[in-house]
Amino acid sequence: MGPSGCGKSTVLNLIAGLVEPTRGAIRLDGRSLTGIPAHVGYVFQKDTVFPWRTVSQNVELGLAYRGVPRAERERRVREAIRLVGLEGFEDAFPATLSGGMRQRVALVRTLIVEPEILLMDEPFGALDTHTKLRLQAQLLALWTGKRQTVVFVTHDLAEAITLADRVIVLTSRPGRVKHVHAVKLPRPRDVIRIRETDEYAHEFSALWHVLGEEFAKAEAAEETGGAA
Amino acid sequence: MSDRTRVNAWRVLILVLMLGFWEGLTRPAVTKSVSRVVYFVDPFFISRPSAIWSRFWHLNSGAVRVPLWHLLLSTLESTLLGFAVGVGSGFVAGLVLGRNARLAAVLHPYIVAFNSLPRIALVPLVTMIFGFGLVAKVVLAWLIVFFIVFFNTFQGARGVDPDLIHAARFLGASERQVMRTVIVPSALAWTFASLTPSVSFALIGVVIGEFIGGESGGGIGYLIIASLGSLNAADMMVALLVLGLTGIVLALGIHQVEARLLRWRPEYQARG
Repeated sequence: MGPSGCGKSTVLNLIAGLVEPTRGAIRLDGRSLTGIPAHVGYVFQKDTVFPWRTVSQNVELGLAYRGVPRAERERRVREAIRLVGLEGFEDAFPATLSGGMRQRVALVRTLIVEPEILLMDEPFGALDTHTKLRLQAQLLALWTGKRQTVVFVTHDLAEAITLADRVIVLTSRPGRVKHVHAVKLPRPRDVIRIRETDEYAHEFSALWHVLGEEFAKAEAAEETGGAA
Repeated sequence: MSDRTRVNAWRVLILVLMLGFWEGLTRPAVTKSVSRVVYFVDPFFISRPSAIWSRFWHLNSGAVRVPLWHLLLSTLESTLLGFAVGVGSGFVAGLVLGRNARLAAVLHPYIVAFNSLPRIALVPLVTMIFGFGLVAKVVLAWLIVFFIVFFNTFQGARGVDPDLIHAARFLGASERQVMRTVIVPSALAWTFASLTPSVSFALIGVVIGEFIGGESGGGIGYLIIASLGSLNAADMMVALLVLGLTGIVLALGIHQVEARLLRWRPEYQARG
C-alpha cells in the first residue's frame, strides 16, 4: 500500500520483469530474474480480457499456449468457470459482461495455469463495493486450495487487512518501505464478518495511523510541488 | 402503423412521385406541328422510365450480342477479385509494417507519395501494361483497395494494446502465439472495418477500367461508354441503375460479413 505515484505498480512490474531495475536485482528463490519469469501470473488493473474471445476462449488461453489437449482444456475451463460463478456466460463476449464479471474472467484465466506467484495490481480498484467484496471472497476461496504467494497492490486499507498476511506500506515519493505490518487475523476469513470484529478495528486503526502520514505527505507535496 | 412501416411508406411514395414526374415531364407537352414536338424536359438526355424499362428487357434478351447480365457478371467478377486481392495484400503489408517500426519509417515517404497520386491517373499506365481485359480491371480495383486496407491494418497492428501483449506473455504465450492470438485479431478488427468502403471503391476502380477497356473489357462501364457513343440515354440509365443496385447489394453483403466477424464489438451487439 502507499499513496498514488509511490511506485507500487513499479514494484510489481519489476518482479514481473516488465521493468529493468536501474540498480540491484530481483531474486526469486535465490535466482536473479531477467525477463518475464515462468510460473508468475499477473492480473492487471486494466481490463486485459481479450474482447474478441468469448469467456471460455479467454479462460482457456493459458492452457492453449501450453499445448494442453483439447479434452482436458475443456474440462478445466468448465471447472474454473464454475468456481467463479460464470456458468451460462461461457460463450458470451466480454463486451456484454459487467466490469466485475470481466475481472473474474481475468482472475480465473490467470489462476487456471496455477502460477506459483500471483501479482495483482489493484484488480478490484474499479469495482463497486458489493462486487469488490464478492470478488475478494472468491479470491480467498480460490487461494485457500493452493496458497501460492500473492503480491497484491491496493489503495484500499480494508481490502489489505481482509486479504493479507503482511501489509507493506510504501512512503510517498521517493518510494521506500516505511512499515511492514503483520495482520494477525485468523483464517479462513469471511470478508463481511471479519469487519465486525475488534481485531479488525484494531488492525485498521494501527495501519491507518501509518498510512495517514504518508497520504498527508503526498498531498502536501502535490500542493507545493505542482511545478516539480 | 408502426414507425418502420411509416418510413417505408414515405420511401415508396417518394419513389413513385419521382418516377411519375420523370415519366410525365418527358412526354410530349404540346404538339404544335408534325415536325416539332415540344417537351417539358427532353427525353433525349434523361430518357423516361417506361423507355428504360423496355430497354432493360431488350438488353437482357437475345437480340443484343452481349446480354446485360453477362456484362454485370464481368463487372462483378473483376470487382470481387480486385477486392479479395486488395484486402489480402493490404492486410499482409499493414501487419508487417505495423509491427516493424524501422521498416515503416523507411518506407513512409514512398507510401505517402504513392497514395497521394490520384489513382485514376494510373489508368492509362495500367492499360499499357495489362491491356483491356480482366487483369487490368482487377489491378485498378486492387490499387485502390490495397491502400485503404493497408492503412487500416497498419493503424490496427501498430496500436495493439501493449497490456494485452503482456497479458498473453504472462499466460505463457510464445512470440508466435502472441502474433496469432493478440496482434492478428487486433489488427483484423481494423481490417474488417475497412471492408465495406473497400468493396465500393473496388467497384469504382473496375468501372474506370471498363470505361477505357472497350468491348474486350466488357462490363457495365463499357455499356455506359457505348451508350454515350450511340447517344442512347435509356441504355445509359439502365447501366447506371444496375450499377447502383450492384453497389448497394455488394456493400450490404460485405457489411453483413463485417458484422458477423466483429460480433464481439459493443457496437455490433444490438441483438441478433
